[in-house]
Amino acid sequence: MKLLSAVAVVLFAAAPALAAEAPGEAKVGEAAPAFTLKDESGKAHSLSEYKGKVVVLEWTNPECPFVQRHYEAKTMVKTQGALDPSKVVWLAVDSTSTHSASSAKAWKAEQGLKYPVLLDTEGTVGHAYGAKHTPQMYVIDAKGVLRYAGAIDDDPRGRNTANAKNYVKTAVDAVLSGKPVPSSTTEAYGCSVKYKQS
Amino acid sequence: MLVCLGAGGAQAAPVAAGATAEGAKDRGTYRVAAELLTDVSQVRAGDTFRVGVRFRLSPGWHMYWKNPGDSGLATEVAWDTPGTTVDALQWPFPSTFRTPDGFITTYGYADEVLLWASARASEQAQGGLTLSAAVDALVCEVQCLPAQLLLTRTLPVGPASAKDAQASALFDAAALGVPRPAAPAGFSVQVALEQKELTAGKPFSGTVTLAGPALPRAADAFAKDFFVPERIPGVAKLALAPTGTRGTFRLTGEAEPDAPKQAPRLRGVLRLGDARAPSLELDAPLAPVAAAAAGEAAAQAPAPVREVPLKVRPVLPAGSAGVAPGGAPLSLPLVLLFAFLGGALLNLMPCVFPVLALKAYGFSRMVQEERGRVGLHAGAYAGGILAAMLALALAVLGVRAAGRSVGWGFQFQEPLFVAAVAAVLVAFALNLFGVFHVGGAGGGLAEKVDASHGLARSAGEGVLAVVLATPCSAPLLGSAVGFALAAGPFTVLTVFLTLGLGLALPFCVLVLVPGLAKLLPRPGAWMERAKQLLGFALLATTVWLLWVMGGLAGVDGMARLAAFLTAVGLAAWLYGLAQGASGRRRLAGLLASALVVVSVGALSLRFAEGGERRGAGSAEGVAGRAAAWDEGAVAKALESGRPVFVDFTADWCLTCKFNERTVLQREDVQAAFARHKVALFVADWTRRDATIGQKLAAHGRAGVPMYLVLSPRAPHAPEVLPELLTADTVLEALARAAGPTAPGAGCAGPEKC
Repeated sequence: MKLLSAVAVVLFAAAPALAAEAPGEAKVGEAAPAFTLKDESGKAHSLSEYKGKVVVLEWTNPECPFVQRHYEAKTMVKTQGALDPSKVVWLAVDSTSTHSASSAKAWKAEQGLKYPVLLDTEGTVGHAYGAKHTPQMYVIDAKGVLRYAGAIDDDPRGRNTANAKNYVKTAVDAVLSGKPVPSSTTEAYGCSVKYKQS
Repeated sequence: MLVCLGAGGAQAAPVAAGATAEGAKDRGTYRVAAELLTDVSQVRAGDTFRVGVRFRLSPGWHMYWKNPGDSGLATEVAWDTPGTTVDALQWPFPSTFRTPDGFITTYGYADEVLLWASARASEQAQGGLTLSAAVDALVCEVQCLPAQLLLTRTLPVGPASAKDAQASALFDAAALGVPRPAAPAGFSVQVALEQKELTAGKPFSGTVTLAGPALPRAADAFAKDFFVPERIPGVAKLALAPTGTRGTFRLTGEAEPDAPKQAPRLRGVLRLGDARAPSLELDAPLAPVAAAAAGEAAAQAPAPVREVPLKVRPVLPAGSAGVAPGGAPLSLPLVLLFAFLGGALLNLMPCVFPVLALKAYGFSRMVQEERGRVGLHAGAYAGGILAAMLALALAVLGVRAAGRSVGWGFQFQEPLFVAAVAAVLVAFALNLFGVFHVGGAGGGLAEKVDASHGLARSAGEGVLAVVLATPCSAPLLGSAVGFALAAGPFTVLTVFLTLGLGLALPFCVLVLVPGLAKLLPRPGAWMERAKQLLGFALLATTVWLLWVMGGLAGVDGMARLAAFLTAVGLAAWLYGLAQGASGRRRLAGLLASALVVVSVGALSLRFAEGGERRGAGSAEGVAGRAAAWDEGAVAKALESGRPVFVDFTADWCLTCKFNERTVLQREDVQAAFARHKVALFVADWTRRDATIGQKLAAHGRAGVPMYLVLSPRAPHAPEVLPELLTADTVLEALARAAGPTAPGAGCAGPEKC
């Protein structure tokens, strides 16, 4: 046995000291990065606790004109309202470094939102998902696989509000009916996420 | 802060139209001012002129290019010009903006920019022409403000066009900043991808070769953000980096998960040097077009884009037109079959021979014993192999997670590993000579004989088989491991374990097939001699490892290793003495033995990346005339019409050495190299080299050997030769690459070349 363990050690000597693994950005078709974040009321939400349900993540920032436009047009609220709450969970995520539970609370009350606003002030979850815009949307299926990443709709300039193609609704419907998502990635548009710059 | 933007944020109504307007109001201050300009103060009907919008931004604020990058929104200028036709908008070369953490990159303009277009007054124009522009822009500092502006002015029509000197100067300056389309400017662009096809969601890489006047050479002659990609449907990321070879850039990118309707093209703007240098607009097919014509023409005239999905037809090696492409996608079951067969074939390679011989010897001893024991030992041996393969797979995953490139045999690029294997071999050899014995606390003579085949030993032999097998590559093995290394952790583990099963196969067969083991020689007094003889085989292997160390760490490294091996020998001898003793003496012996190894090891095992790279390739490889591999040099040779042969090799790769000695250095092969004027290159992977690693991976290989033959008539379609070369393979490939007539230089006499 001595020899066996000696040679096993030798084999491992081949692996140089391992650097900490820098996770790549989330990819459609792969497992969505796990996270736990507190919402505006201090309640913690983990992605894992929603296994078995479709999860929609909405990257948001109340100060971004694009987000404001969609809130005035009730895009998010209407999209969320049309989904079956027993099958789909909607979570807003705010990665703005300067925001806090109280600012999120105020905004939630102002907009009359029914879904939690998760605070990612450190930006770790935003980076893991590669979220660069507000708004930017992600749809995760019941198995925890990322199935859609991109824009809420195909109307970046808000000129076609009435007939805009809602990518998120399409994606959720496809996932629920077990079909492939027709456009699994789209070019998100909007403001940049105001991450903490250490 | 921004919540009190008022005026409904993004839906701010355009202000009353004039030739100037301001927008993006930030707490009472407008952050952008825009003015509609023409370079004439009066125009004659039918004349051309320039019209544009000049934007001026507050310090620290910027607006966006036609590809905004990771966030933002492209600036939009929509014309409404009755009686005037306006051409496409001209965009000066954009600046690149990055957040301090580098996570978000955007492209646009700070301070001021003039976005302009050529315009033509209609022949019927009279009185005045109304020119209107609706601007939709996003203006950002940290926060972003939308600006929607409506600009309008009237241009008088008269008997002659009158130049507006001040405005003309602005237009001329802006025009200088606009990238020129490459082909009309006398540049040709060639894209050589390392992948036969882009795979959705996967990275791709290659080389972009730019030929034309006044190209800077040095890599540092280029501004940091000298290349800005456009939005390319189907491509998520795209970047270029100068290589230091004139006109050659390294291309890296990543395809989007969804295949687009059309084959993607390389589109973007490239500055020919520093921030003041002129710039080009690139538009070239990204996926290589089937190499019928010389690449030059294909690159200059944008080829018609057929409606093909992202899976572009793989290019066939020259001369194999009509043959099914060899790049058939591998499926996991096929890969596992390859891995199993490759593992079995490894047994026939020179690397594993010492261990095999050892094992055969052990088995012939055991034939005398009851069958169950033999099965146990075969199991232990297979277990050792699988455990080692598992460790290797985990090491591969670990190293890969740390972001380093790995390949088959990569551990031999680590001097400490080479030293450790050499030490184990020396210890093993001394054990065979009877200096000490393994396992069993006793020291009886009978036990000494028996101890040579304890179960632990069988397992250890399995591990050693794996360690020694890795410098050899076998047919099918390269493809299987290459596939695994590009796949997920599960695939890596299954492929490596299957490989291990293949490696263990011969002895499992020996055990499972009744009567087969009986064919082994009968044990007798010769066994002890055979055992000792095998010890010398192991020492010979150590000599080879010493030589590998020379390639890694130079002469000093070799000397250090030799010193350490001597210490290992001394320690083994002390250990053997201790085994014969008892009590305190025994303990002292064991301590002395350990002390010798540890102290000498600590002193000697310090390997610097050894000074001069030994010209192993040039002296040993394909020929004395071989040059070190370099993409730029390869491209040059191809351009001058010479076929190219690239030998990817490493000192520790026995298969490579075998091919070089028995095939590449044969006289007829050497003569063919000379006759076809082949440019020879050696890519030496003895030490780590990311570029070589990437090139191997690009051809689906995990390690060396790899042989590429490139034809000047199909520069982007290299032919990959098999891992085990034969002279015929090489000669035929060279003939194919050289084509029917010897190309290029050296046409003696008037006959057509």
